[in-house]
Amino acid sequence: MWNPYDELSAKERRLYGLVSVGTVLLIWSVLTFGSFVRPTKLPSIVQVFEGFTYLAWNEATETSPLFLAVKSSVLRVLVASVLVVSIGVPIGVFMGASPKINAVLSPLLDPLRSAPVVAILPILVMWMGIGELMKITFLFIGAVVFLIPMVRDAMLAVSQQYWIAARDLGATEWEAVRHAVLPMAMPRIADAIVVAVSVMWTYITVAEYVNAETGLGQIITHARRQSAMNQVFVAIGVIIGLALLTYVTMMAIKRKIYPWESE
Amino acid sequence: MGVGVVTDPSNEPTADFLDVELKDIVQEYPKPEGDGVHRVLDGINLSFGEPTINMLLGPSGCGKSTLLRMLGGVRPIGVKAPTSGEVIIGGQPCDGPHDESVMVFQRYANRPDLTIRENIAFPFRLSLWKGRVPPAEREKRVDAMLKAVGLEGKGGLRPSQLSGGQNQRVALARALVLRPRILLMDEPFGALDAQTREEMQHLLIDLWKAQRCLVVFVTHDVTEALLLGDRVIVLSTSPADVVDDFPIEEPRPRSDAWLMSTPVVAMKERVLDRLHQAKTGQKGQVRVSF
Repeated sequence: MWNPYDELSAKERRLYGLVSVGTVLLIWSVLTFGSFVRPTKLPSIVQVFEGFTYLAWNEATETSPLFLAVKSSVLRVLVASVLVVSIGVPIGVFMGASPKINAVLSPLLDPLRSAPVVAILPILVMWMGIGELMKITFLFIGAVVFLIPMVRDAMLAVSQQYWIAARDLGATEWEAVRHAVLPMAMPRIADAIVVAVSVMWTYITVAEYVNAETGLGQIITHARRQSAMNQVFVAIGVIIGLALLTYVTMMAIKRKIYPWESE
Repeated sequence: MGVGVVTDPSNEPTADFLDVELKDIVQEYPKPEGDGVHRVLDGINLSFGEPTINMLLGPSGCGKSTLLRMLGGVRPIGVKAPTSGEVIIGGQPCDGPHDESVMVFQRYANRPDLTIRENIAFPFRLSLWKGRVPPAEREKRVDAMLKAVGLEGKGGLRPSQLSGGQNQRVALARALVLRPRILLMDEPFGALDAQTREEMQHLLIDLWKAQRCLVVFVTHDVTEALLLGDRVIVLSTSPADVVDDFPIEEPRPRSDAWLMSTPVVAMKERVLDRLHQAKTGQKGQVRVSF
């Protein structure tokens, strides 16, 4: 029982997992089907499924509100991801490559990591209005403050030996960073990117809270106003699913590109 | 940060030799506690006049590696090195990585994402060597090195697919592919098992015979020093000082019988005596393998 290094068989692991998920489903069903709680507080499985079918196809408009929401949320996360990676990774690399750059930027960036990102939202609304720019900027800020320090730390985690060995072979200081330190840090940088992009899914509802016409966050806001708790559950479920899908896909790609690990 | 000495690019490395001189080298490091300095090298004078194999023998932590870095390697980071004294390579003072000087470390630092071939050709990614060695010549040199270190046919593999000894061969090939006139070795075989270490020692001798250069080899193993060296320089510890410096005429490879012979055993005892008489503190350790 208390052996952290004990390896469970796949079958055993699945069994324990089923037991825990099953228990929660059971309690949920007892509470809802037994009418112990009101559906506006906690919908039943059946009601959640009804919410799903309701959102999946709208007869009147002949569209799928859920699909449209997923599309616009995914698009926002995608655009923000491209920006986060193309701006955050170079900044982190430069910070990790030069203590001087790190000393200049870290007093500006490090406190942001513990800042309540959600509290920035009203500021962004005042600065940028309530359009797409504000939403993408919010996602960008939320993820980039995580990404930059992680990329920097990935660089710093590379043994000095690689830098020295390259310098000794005649590399300039920058070449030693470019050809020895950076390639060694890449698997960890890739991990950092995966984490940062996954984090965005936790911010998407907040980003879409204000004046979203579409998006999973908008579904949640809208459904809550109508006390359609089952639709809130559907949207949360879809967000969790998308986050998981993002993580698993990106990790698979990362393992394909970098089959070895940073030290 | 030292810029190093840049030799004339038209001056292709040839068989001719670079004189290396260390004059009154003193090296001090600030103490970790913050007050005062810790002197590791105490006025070292050494000169190397021929492409021979020179063994720097001393207890671990005596400053051998620091001394080795002075011979055209990357200087310790964050301190002035040397604190005082002068390093002269080929008649010019040198205060950083020297083009003609390449170092092989115990940790071989091969890139896991590159093939063995690409690892050996690694220096040619650097602007310094791009300009000096034309692409056709690079390929030829890499082929020759793969063969010389016994990794022919393994060029397409990755470092993770090789043993520790084979990885050290890659590191050695990566250094020699530049045809350096000075080869610095910082306990390169220290992490290898006894049998692999012996293979590597033989390989080094073979490579050196084919491509003569000045080898300065740091070790804390008396037997290794006696087996490989044309000259053995014995250092005491903290601060390090030369306590013995003698040539060995015996041709290589040197046999076990030679190692066990009375004069060699006497030589070994003398080295150990010198080390013990010197101010060697209790922290330093030398070892006699086998």
